[in-house]
Amino acid sequence: MFGTQSQRDLSLEFQSQIPILRPSIHTRRANLTVKFQDLYGFTVEGNVDDVNVLNEVREKVRQQGRVWWSLEANKGANWYLQPSISEGIALKSSLKFSALANAITLKRLIRKGIPPVLRPKVWFSLSGAAKKKSTVPESYYNDLIKATEGKVTPATRQIDHDLPRTFPGHPWLDTPEGHAALRRVLVGYSFRDSDVGYCQGLNYVAALLLLVMKTEEDAFWMLAVLLENVLVNDCYTNNLSGCHVEQRVFKDFLAKKCPRIAMHLEAMEFDVSLVATEWFLCLFSKSLPSETTLRVWDILFYEGAKVILHVALAIFKMKEEQLLITHHVGDVISILQRTTHHLFDPEELLTVAFDKIGSMTTNNISKQRKKQEPAVMKELDQRFRRLNSLKLDDK
Amino acid sequence: MARTGNKNIQAKLVLLGDMGTGKTSLVLRFVTGKFLEYQESTIGAAFFTQVLSLNEATIKFDIWDTAGQERYHSLAPMYYRGAAAAVVVYDITSMESFVRAKKWVQELQRQANPTLIMFLAGNKADLEEKRKVGFEEGEQYAKENGLVFLETSAKTAQNVNELFYEIAKKLAKASPSRPTGIKLHSRSQQNSRRMFCCS
Repeated sequence: MFGTQSQRDLSLEFQSQIPILRPSIHTRRANLTVKFQDLYGFTVEGNVDDVNVLNEVREKVRQQGRVWWSLEANKGANWYLQPSISEGIALKSSLKFSALANAITLKRLIRKGIPPVLRPKVWFSLSGAAKKKSTVPESYYNDLIKATEGKVTPATRQIDHDLPRTFPGHPWLDTPEGHAALRRVLVGYSFRDSDVGYCQGLNYVAALLLLVMKTEEDAFWMLAVLLENVLVNDCYTNNLSGCHVEQRVFKDFLAKKCPRIAMHLEAMEFDVSLVATEWFLCLFSKSLPSETTLRVWDILFYEGAKVILHVALAIFKMKEEQLLITHHVGDVISILQRTTHHLFDPEELLTVAFDKIGSMTTNNISKQRKKQEPAVMKELDQRFRRLNSLKLDDK
Repeated sequence: MARTGNKNIQAKLVLLGDMGTGKTSLVLRFVTGKFLEYQESTIGAAFFTQVLSLNEATIKFDIWDTAGQERYHSLAPMYYRGAAAAVVVYDITSMESFVRAKKWVQELQRQANPTLIMFLAGNKADLEEKRKVGFEEGEQYAKENGLVFLETSAKTAQNVNELFYEIAKKLAKASPSRPTGIKLHSRSQQNSRRMFCCS
């Protein structure tokens, strides 16, 4: 009924943001899939409802910007960057009342989203990246890049292989300039931490950091603070042991927070890490729409790695009823995939992630991790031995 | 929508192999008929379904397309557990990927379902001028290890449908006596094409 031409016309229309569609054509168009570019230049496919949601999100982003500006007018520019506040909620008891009040305000504010123009500055400071950078000489990044230029390692070969395969088609990332910047960040990091080297998945994370941060150097420091301070240890090293631990912790929390889903999936022999591994390693950048991903990252950089658990649980929770009537692994995956790809409204996800899922204390999560670590190590070790015995047989 | 006298077979299929050998491209060529020069790298694994109808049976594939980087190896058992068939993929322009493929075959022989049907695919067969692994080399290794061998090209579609048809045929043949890894079912087949992960 509608050829490609009319789809192209529609997508042009939506780029110019037509906020309200007449109901008569609305119903007709609701079933149409259109392609459009989102705030960060990614081409997304969705129906008219998705486009409308995205426009509403844009409007909310503007409103949220006004909230930040007015607070800045009240409390002074950069009020949120004062160390007593940005170092956070963990130090609650030692804070003065005004600082405590500011910290609480900031937490609420961040959960509602950081305006895109402020993201580079706020992330850089609140994540600890600024502090990390300040402990080394000013020229650290440039020296690192110079020192690694022309060096070939297994990591650089893999990075080169993945550059054109990282968000292909993106108007900046998929250009020679974009590839070169991503390459420098990833290669630089692979030399900074040889235990991590290069792990597939980091390409997507670094690419999104490059899009948000104003400079390549800041993106590099964000990647560093993420891997070294924000996330659990060893997520990306050698055998992904940290990621294995986190998957088990996630499984435990799913059983606690969404017992019906957990039981149903277990009966189907569906292992949640089949889908969650990618979420945890790419920090949702490959599954959620860009602004939704960045809203998750806003909170991640301020509140820490537990945010990933909250969001992963929320994705399951949101589709509880649908998931409970599935009989087949493929149906579960298809529901989750459809859900994540269409979560254009960050609020919808974050409300569930924090209000419905309820609190999970850092203490409790750490305990769970400690509990799972030995089991994961044992399993990985056994596997390693088995594979080694295969190699010996081969000789 | 089972036709009378026709078996419905649901089968789990897993693709394994070094990074960048074209696992995702092979699956996408089979499932969507399309090819992208630069396919997003797979993290963890991607899931696809596709239905193939043969005269003797209808096979519904649950396809797990896994990440190739060596460190993701530790996740692999989760994907090949209970699989009815596996395709080990290498890139004919990379000897390294062929060595990796052999390791996968060994691991599957020891660890996977004993009745697993294994295929070896030498992909990127269109890149003849860059070839590093000879056809005979692949064929010989496959023969010695009881694998079905094909050289494929996701780019030109060479042998891609053939690969999946051959797997389907083997599964159909094997199904009455092979309860593991295959579930007979009679639910209606909707949405025969589903994708996961690759946006």
